[in-house]
Amino acid sequence: MNESNLDPSPFEERGRRLFDASLERVDMRVRSRLNVARHAALDAAQASRSRFFRVPLWTSAAGVTVAGVLAVAIWFGGPGGHAGHVTAPAENAANLEDLELVASSDDASAPPMDMLQDDIDFYEWAADKGNTPDSGNVG
Amino acid sequence: MTRFATLSHAWMAWDGPAPAPEDAALDHTKELDKFLAEVERRAFRIAQVSLRDEDDALDVVQDAMLKLARNYSAKPSAEWRPLFYRILENGIRDLQRRRAVRKRLMVWLPGPKEDPDEEAQDPIDSVAAGGADVPELLMQDQAMAKLETSLRALPARQREAFMLRNFEGLDVAETARAMGCSEGSVKTHYSRAVHTLREQLGEVW
Repeated sequence: MNESNLDPSPFEERGRRLFDASLERVDMRVRSRLNVARHAALDAAQASRSRFFRVPLWTSAAGVTVAGVLAVAIWFGGPGGHAGHVTAPAENAANLEDLELVASSDDASAPPMDMLQDDIDFYEWAADKGNTPDSGNVG
Repeated sequence: MTRFATLSHAWMAWDGPAPAPEDAALDHTKELDKFLAEVERRAFRIAQVSLRDEDDALDVVQDAMLKLARNYSAKPSAEWRPLFYRILENGIRDLQRRRAVRKRLMVWLPGPKEDPDEEAQDPIDSVAAGGADVPELLMQDQAMAKLETSLRALPARQREAFMLRNFEGLDVAETARAMGCSEGSVKTHYSRAVHTLREQLGEVW
């Protein structure tokens, strides 16, 4: 192995043989600890591999769900009931508040959407009132 | 419908010849297990020669195994050996640096005591039962102890080059990757190490 990858000299050979022989005399306590360390490393490798495969699936599933919920909220959330209606930021905030009010019904037994259907006339009237120019003077 | 057809074709193409992911992961784990089992004792002895402490050597080896498994196990197995020894040598150097700083800061406190049992240990106790005859093993132990003493007296980079090339059997390119230097530097460090060791140990060794 003289300086490059050539054959080792007898001196180097002896060093190598002595080192190899010393490996056989590593005591059992050390061998046992090395064994434990190896298994811990293998567990870590498996954990890191499973994380690598799992995270994108989670994120993609969560992303699709969130995107779907947002699309539905935007589609039905507007005063006109469709996406073609362009709303101002202040109107959007009001719509979100309305949505929250409908969703957080005091009556836990009645689903919010049922309540909306029961009082559909009232909500239509309220929407019409809200869209008229003098709606701020009502009351 | 076109989209469904495309997806089903993609699924068939993926599901056909490729091995199941579980099998591939199992093979990979077995390969890593084999590699670590091969290097663990060698790495421990290399760390022990440098650090002169069994527990510190075990800690450094354990740390190197974990880092390799966590960060580099996905790399091709041919790259594991130089990567592992690079992590190991970095760990050894970090520990030696920490020791040096601690020594400078805590110079007014009594240092860690040498283990009296280690000094008083009978060499025959460390000889494995059976196999080669006791005088031969004792001679080997003494020769190895001399070599270790001389290695510890070498500059760190020369010691690293000698142990990686001679003990671990890495070639020049692998040693260069493990040490984070050029192949020319490895050749220089190794050549100087061999020269110094030969001078110190002499022909009798």
